[in-house]
Amino acid sequence: MKVDLYNYIVAAQKMSRRQMLKGSAALGAVAMMPKAAARADGHASVRAEILKIPGVGAGSPTDSDWQKVGEMCLGATKENVAEGEFAGVELTFMGLNNQNLHNFLFRGFLKPWEAYTGAKINWIDLAQADYNARLQQSIATGTVDFDIVEMGAPFEGDVLGRGMASEMPDWVKDQIDMDDYVDYLKAPVGTWDGKTYRVSIDGDCHTFAYRKDYFGEGSVTGRDVPKTWQEINAVSKELIGKEDPLTGLPAHGYLDPLKGWGGFGFYFLENRASAYAKHPNSPAWLFDPETMKPMVNNPAWVQAIQDVMDLIEAGAYPADQINADPGTTAFQQFLAGTGSMLMWWGDVGSSARTSDTSVVGDVVGFGINPASDRVYNAKDGAWEDTMNEAPNMAYIGWGVYVMATVEGDAKKKKAAWSAAAHLGGKDLSLWASAYPSGFQPYRQSHFQFEEWEEAGYDRAFVEDYLGSNADSYNHPNAAIEPRIPGIFQYYSVAEDELAKGYAGQYGSAQETADAIAAAWEKITDQIGRDSQIALYKASLGL
Amino acid sequence: MSTEGDLLHTVTADNISESRRRLGRMMVWGSAAVFFLLAAMQFLHDTGHSDIGFATWRPVLFAYLLWATALCGAQVVVNGEKGKRTLFVLPAALFVISLVVFPLLFALYVSFTNWNLASLNGPQPNGWDNMRQMWSDAFYWNALKNMVYYVLAVSVEYVIAFGLALLLNAQIRARKFFRVVFLLPLMLSPVAVSWMVGKSMMEIRFGPLARLARDLGWDSPSFFGTPEMARFMIMAMDAWTFIPFMMIMLLAGLQALPREVIEASKVDGASGWQSFKEVIFPLMLPVSVTAIVIRIIFKLKLADIIINITSGGPGGATDSVTSFIFREYRDRSNVGYGTLLAMVYLVLIVIFITLLLKAVSRFMERPA
Repeated sequence: MKVDLYNYIVAAQKMSRRQMLKGSAALGAVAMMPKAAARADGHASVRAEILKIPGVGAGSPTDSDWQKVGEMCLGATKENVAEGEFAGVELTFMGLNNQNLHNFLFRGFLKPWEAYTGAKINWIDLAQADYNARLQQSIATGTVDFDIVEMGAPFEGDVLGRGMASEMPDWVKDQIDMDDYVDYLKAPVGTWDGKTYRVSIDGDCHTFAYRKDYFGEGSVTGRDVPKTWQEINAVSKELIGKEDPLTGLPAHGYLDPLKGWGGFGFYFLENRASAYAKHPNSPAWLFDPETMKPMVNNPAWVQAIQDVMDLIEAGAYPADQINADPGTTAFQQFLAGTGSMLMWWGDVGSSARTSDTSVVGDVVGFGINPASDRVYNAKDGAWEDTMNEAPNMAYIGWGVYVMATVEGDAKKKKAAWSAAAHLGGKDLSLWASAYPSGFQPYRQSHFQFEEWEEAGYDRAFVEDYLGSNADSYNHPNAAIEPRIPGIFQYYSVAEDELAKGYAGQYGSAQETADAIAAAWEKITDQIGRDSQIALYKASLGL
Repeated sequence: MSTEGDLLHTVTADNISESRRRLGRMMVWGSAAVFFLLAAMQFLHDTGHSDIGFATWRPVLFAYLLWATALCGAQVVVNGEKGKRTLFVLPAALFVISLVVFPLLFALYVSFTNWNLASLNGPQPNGWDNMRQMWSDAFYWNALKNMVYYVLAVSVEYVIAFGLALLLNAQIRARKFFRVVFLLPLMLSPVAVSWMVGKSMMEIRFGPLARLARDLGWDSPSFFGTPEMARFMIMAMDAWTFIPFMMIMLLAGLQALPREVIEASKVDGASGWQSFKEVIFPLMLPVSVTAIVIRIIFKLKLADIIINITSGGPGGATDSVTSFIFREYRDRSNVGYGTLLAMVYLVLIVIFITLLLKAVSRFMERPA
């Protein structure tokens, strides 16, 4: 669980000592029961036990807690690896050090694993800002000096597409129970050309956050919470000149970030566009998989850009929105009481009550990415007047990958995969999703709310908040990011062109979209069209 | 032992045998041969013309280091005492060549390649394609145009800095205190300035500067909302950071002025303005020109404030060449094209600074 989310939930339910003890006692009672009485599969007692470490609301877990959890979750490893089997093996693990989590947790989780197997792990810790450049340079210059890497799925095109990773052995698939993944993390995500490479340890998607006090009878809008982008634009325009019920300042509707964010800003146009452009009849919505011709200038995308331009034209955004990047819209605007609707990752919800500058903690509600009342069918080249929902799985979350450097040394390969499987284990991941770890729930079993309740969480709150994530993850028409080489280059150049379009330097939304398409064509040609087509198809599982 | 030539600076006169000289020459040419052989072998291996080679270029680097060491050692072997004197300079020269000249040449090569880090093909020489792309790249020309505005702003900064320097040179109360206070912005990192001032104090809703502007009657104080305003604010923040730098140089110049000349002008009945115009300003020209040239060089590197606050927006209005190259290189991994843009910018800077120094050279010498 992301740190902010954890703090948010604890703060939101205002957990008292009594509540916490109640939860712990319940778990303790469950743990003390005979195994057969507790749960049939034995995992249940482990799951209940680890959720007691250190106890919800009992402060942030420390290294000794991570080691305890790692030790208690070794069962699956022991089934596949004999004690001391990897003696003499040395592995190098490259990952992040964000918020003193990620690699720091992995160290703790893997320490008992090292003690049991006899392997030794060396660590490369990277700051988020250095991560992309380091990985990209290692890939491009062929200087891969790590055996295991923590990596986001958007880089799969760069790494898996070049055959730089080791294929997951079948015993690992069984150990980590991949069937338990939420739907969108199942193949083709984590796979390439039908082969599986990724041990998922996280999930990501954008969800809809809105201000409850703006909607309902007698509210400033007098409307229900918008369900479609058309309604969102209508509400945003109607709110011009009205007053925010909470702050008394001018009321605003949806907050589009109009400034780039190192490529990440493009996800936010995607939120609008996915409802128009992601037709259920095809997984492709950014490029034509046969030609890599950009779809970004088809009528669906142009409509999304036009929606933003309409709100700029109408003066519906807060002043200076042209300089608002996604960080600004979330943390300086929405949480501070400016604007009533937003799409973002889980952090916004988690910060709503814990952030000192947030004033919307009591009035924030969540949902999945709004729909559109019409969808563009790119195959037929025509609009269809049917309601279409397509949650945007922005970034897809972190995974652990084993590099091809271990091939040729069977012992080392087994050791690397065993370490990766330990980190992506079903029980261990439950703990990571329930406590501050930097990772979101990503398995069906993570959404068994009774486990959370037993651990001491307020069920109603967890259900409400995480429910929007679960609904997005499992949506049949989820818009999945293309995992092709250089995907952030496409996003980055699109941000530059959008900035020009939003500043009125292009004549229309179509012209802006055409400029993006032209820039994308250049990137495709530079990286290599044929290889991009092949890799794009592979990433879509076509 | 030689008894002719410069004996004054010779500690010992060497009598070096021909076989020793031959050994020295063998050290140099032998190690050079190993270096070139390995480099050629690795080049052929990397270009797919040969199967023999190493996984990396590291052995070639070691061969280069071996050659450099042999070259230094051979100086002593061949030239004896005289060679030792060469050793005071040669390692430094080799170091500069290794770390400046070679990377520059490599960058020149890279700038004429199609090299996107995401491409499976690696760097592919593409002739003048990058140059042609630059020629039609509206973002680059827009950034160059902005640089002209930014550089012109130095003239205003100079006037303010000169005024402040005169003020701090005068007999005012708490002069030392003000000198320190005026220097404070220079001690701040531009990144800190962009966050503290640009993103916090000027934040439209909570920023104290925005509140002040609202109190003064500006309804919607958007400091970066329009192209002109955004460009002006970037200039202002950069000026606020670096005016103290010009000021301190000018202040040092003012304090070094000969008192008797200024006093003589007063004795001759010159007013304060006349004294400034006819005596102080001309005497300050060399310092002024130096301060302006250094400031322009600083200005040509302007990027951090822009990257943090506007990312070049709105619509490219504040983009500097460096901030654009940063996006092209870092966000888009477009190594070949990004390097070409940087090389062209380097050439433009060299030409511009050379012409500038030529134009102002007659002011650089203090009048007799």
